[in-house]
Amino acid sequence: MESRGGRFTWFRPSPVAVTLLVVGAVFAVLTPTFLTLNNLLNVCTSASVVAIVGLGMTLAIASGNFDLSVGSTAAFAGCIAMSVVPQIGVLPAIALGIATGALVGWVNGLIVTELRVPAFIATLGMLTIVRGAALIYTRGRDIYLFGKTDYKILSSGVTPALLALAIALFFGFLLKHTRFGRHILATGSNLASARRVGVRTTYVLWSVFAIVGATAALSGLILSAQVLTGNGRLATGLELSAIAVVVLGGTPLTGGQASIPGTLFGSLLVAVINNGLNLLNVSIFYQNVTLVLLLLGALSLTSGWTSKFGRIASKGSVADVAKGGDGAKSA
Amino acid sequence: MPELSVPSLLEVRNLTRRFPGVVALDDVNFDVVRGEVHALVGENGAGKSTLINILAGVLQPSEGRILIDGAAVVFSDPPGSQSCGISVIFQEFSLLPHLSVAENVFVTREPRRGPLIDWETMNRNTAEILHTLNLDIEPSTPVSKLSVSQQQLVEIARALSSKARVIIMDEPTAALNEREVVRLLEIVRSLASSGVAVIYVSHRLAEVFSVADRVTVFRDGRHISTSPRNAVTEQQVVAAMVGRKLAHLERPMRTSGEIILEARELTVDNGVVRNVSFSLRRGEVLGLAGLMGSGCSELMEGLFGLRKITSGTLTLDREPLQANHPRAAIRAGIGFVPEDRKTNGLFSDLAVTENLTIGALPRWLKSIPAFLDPARERQITLEYKRQLNVRFSRPEQRISGLSGGNQQKIILGRALAENCRVLLLEEPTRGVDVGAKAEIYTLIDGLVAKGIAILLQTSELPELIRLADRCIVFVAGEARAELSGNEVTQEAVMEVATGLSHRVAIRDQALEVANGE
Repeated sequence: MESRGGRFTWFRPSPVAVTLLVVGAVFAVLTPTFLTLNNLLNVCTSASVVAIVGLGMTLAIASGNFDLSVGSTAAFAGCIAMSVVPQIGVLPAIALGIATGALVGWVNGLIVTELRVPAFIATLGMLTIVRGAALIYTRGRDIYLFGKTDYKILSSGVTPALLALAIALFFGFLLKHTRFGRHILATGSNLASARRVGVRTTYVLWSVFAIVGATAALSGLILSAQVLTGNGRLATGLELSAIAVVVLGGTPLTGGQASIPGTLFGSLLVAVINNGLNLLNVSIFYQNVTLVLLLLGALSLTSGWTSKFGRIASKGSVADVAKGGDGAKSA
Repeated sequence: MPELSVPSLLEVRNLTRRFPGVVALDDVNFDVVRGEVHALVGENGAGKSTLINILAGVLQPSEGRILIDGAAVVFSDPPGSQSCGISVIFQEFSLLPHLSVAENVFVTREPRRGPLIDWETMNRNTAEILHTLNLDIEPSTPVSKLSVSQQQLVEIARALSSKARVIIMDEPTAALNEREVVRLLEIVRSLASSGVAVIYVSHRLAEVFSVADRVTVFRDGRHISTSPRNAVTEQQVVAAMVGRKLAHLERPMRTSGEIILEARELTVDNGVVRNVSFSLRRGEVLGLAGLMGSGCSELMEGLFGLRKITSGTLTLDREPLQANHPRAAIRAGIGFVPEDRKTNGLFSDLAVTENLTIGALPRWLKSIPAFLDPARERQITLEYKRQLNVRFSRPEQRISGLSGGNQQKIILGRALAENCRVLLLEEPTRGVDVGAKAEIYTLIDGLVAKGIAILLQTSELPELIRLADRCIVFVAGEARAELSGNEVTQEAVMEVATGLSHRVAIRDQALEVANGE
């Protein structure tokens, strides 16, 4: 088989899209309410919240990293924005919230590039720190917004879906048509080579982490707008969903490749399954289990595919380890 | 040399192996007798690896038979092959880096006392085997602490400890320097004289001719010829490998221009390279020779902004050059083709085009800054495809699907697309086959004729002599001698590079500094 060149394509018949159609059809038959306009809007909104942060995560994974702190960042940004709405108004509050997320992301990037801590540890640490910051900031209490229903614009109607689509188009354009996008893929494919061809990998990674932080913040703002409440415990576990939708969409965890439409479909799939299970009165406790099972299934399928087509040696194989570790990826 | 009437220890008859769409081995016959070194040569894709994998039990033949001592055997898996006394040393070692030498030598065959590992016996037996290989290391040393050549010997020790009767070596000298190669070849000869049959697979014909009793050539999955070493010449073997005659075996006469790169008293990384001065002219190839750790690579990395130049002056076209990141070096007009393509050059997830243009993106941008121009990129790729004679089907194809030689040409093209004036070449033909090698030499000649200045580091002395007009020999981080024109001979280079034994202490010191970074 000839391997595909451009790692980014707008359309390809993807397993996740097919799965989405099948699962959707099943729920449409099993429940009378699935195919109602109201319900589909619900599905779209919850898919969009995950999709927005998932799109950021797609860039992070394409650059050879990932960010476990997105859930905490979402909560922190949501609380900050919510708390300043009465003083500075809705739009500045939204901007401040997103800036907070970008700042947290940039700190992640600093830890990874300057302190040379692997993204896994760096962002796991930030998950705890930022969650702590959110709880300290709110003193563990809820922040309510009385009478400021303008803020609800973020989560009402098709706004979340439009935001997700706009971001998807923007990121897709970034990856396919700009030098920055090419540099993200190059950095994720081979950090050492990227440096040698003159890519300023440090700046690329800072930017990517800041972007993930900003998307996480936006997701957090939408979540808090839905309930008009700022809460330090918001979006717990969002990192798992965000990574899951990226992987379900076919973006490999090894970096250098990205599928933006895949992430959109992945988010829809997760949202449809959760919604369908709700409609079937399946306990919410099963939903996370379903998510993880999906994730494991997708990972096992993709790694099966890659090894089948002889790319075994390309990433972290036994041979690499024997040669003293794969410096290019671990730096 | 063994008589050919001696019965074969291992023989394959009419062996065929098909993959979907390809016949990797086509009706091949091959045999090896006790006490013989039988070299197997051929370009990439000739079927050598397939044969090795079948003998190792990794692949099963589609047709044909394997005979050991005249009796047919079937290897359904690697243990099956090992139990018949076949041991394969693959190019990529299968050592466990965190375990000791002894544990690696006896892995899965550890001597036991009851249920426990008998460390004493294991270490003693390992020490004995290491002694026969003249390898002076403690059996308890972790393998990760060893040099590549020592690791190779540990692989051989493992084969010996398993009482292998046939040892297959796949490109055993790929990562060794000249002196280590000589030592390995001695060991191979002594293995053969102790009665082991060795199948020696290599690209390097000089080695093949110094060690083998018989030479077999494969091409395109077919057996082309098997001859006693004395009955063929290197040229005949090369012709059999590539199926045609190769031109340009001699270095062309060159006329160099004015000085473009000048270094005065350069010191890199506080002493990895010390007080080196040289000048490089347009249209000239200056070779850097030296054993591993002598500082050649470190000097190149310093010039390219990958290491710090801690003192001395460097000028490019009389302008001071100070590169603290490869980006600055590339902008100044320096291109770098790195030694280890896979870790330092390729973007294996990206397309051929993207690999080619990545370093030169600013030049293919549209008028709006930072936006790409795919049509122009595609056109450039096709231009370089023709100019460098690279073989691939589409520019959008992933580069990982190309052969080593074609990948190397793309990386060379990448440096050219950056409009470089000075080209740093590190082992430019490592891991490429004979045909591509000759093509790359011709390409380099063409670049030099156009006025590009080249700094070449290579551990293959014939390559150095073929390409370099002048040569600086490094020992322990210092320039020891400069040879030019006809003075550049293998003997002269090796004499300077290895002859100064009292310098070894200094080299080790320099290595420590390098490793400490």
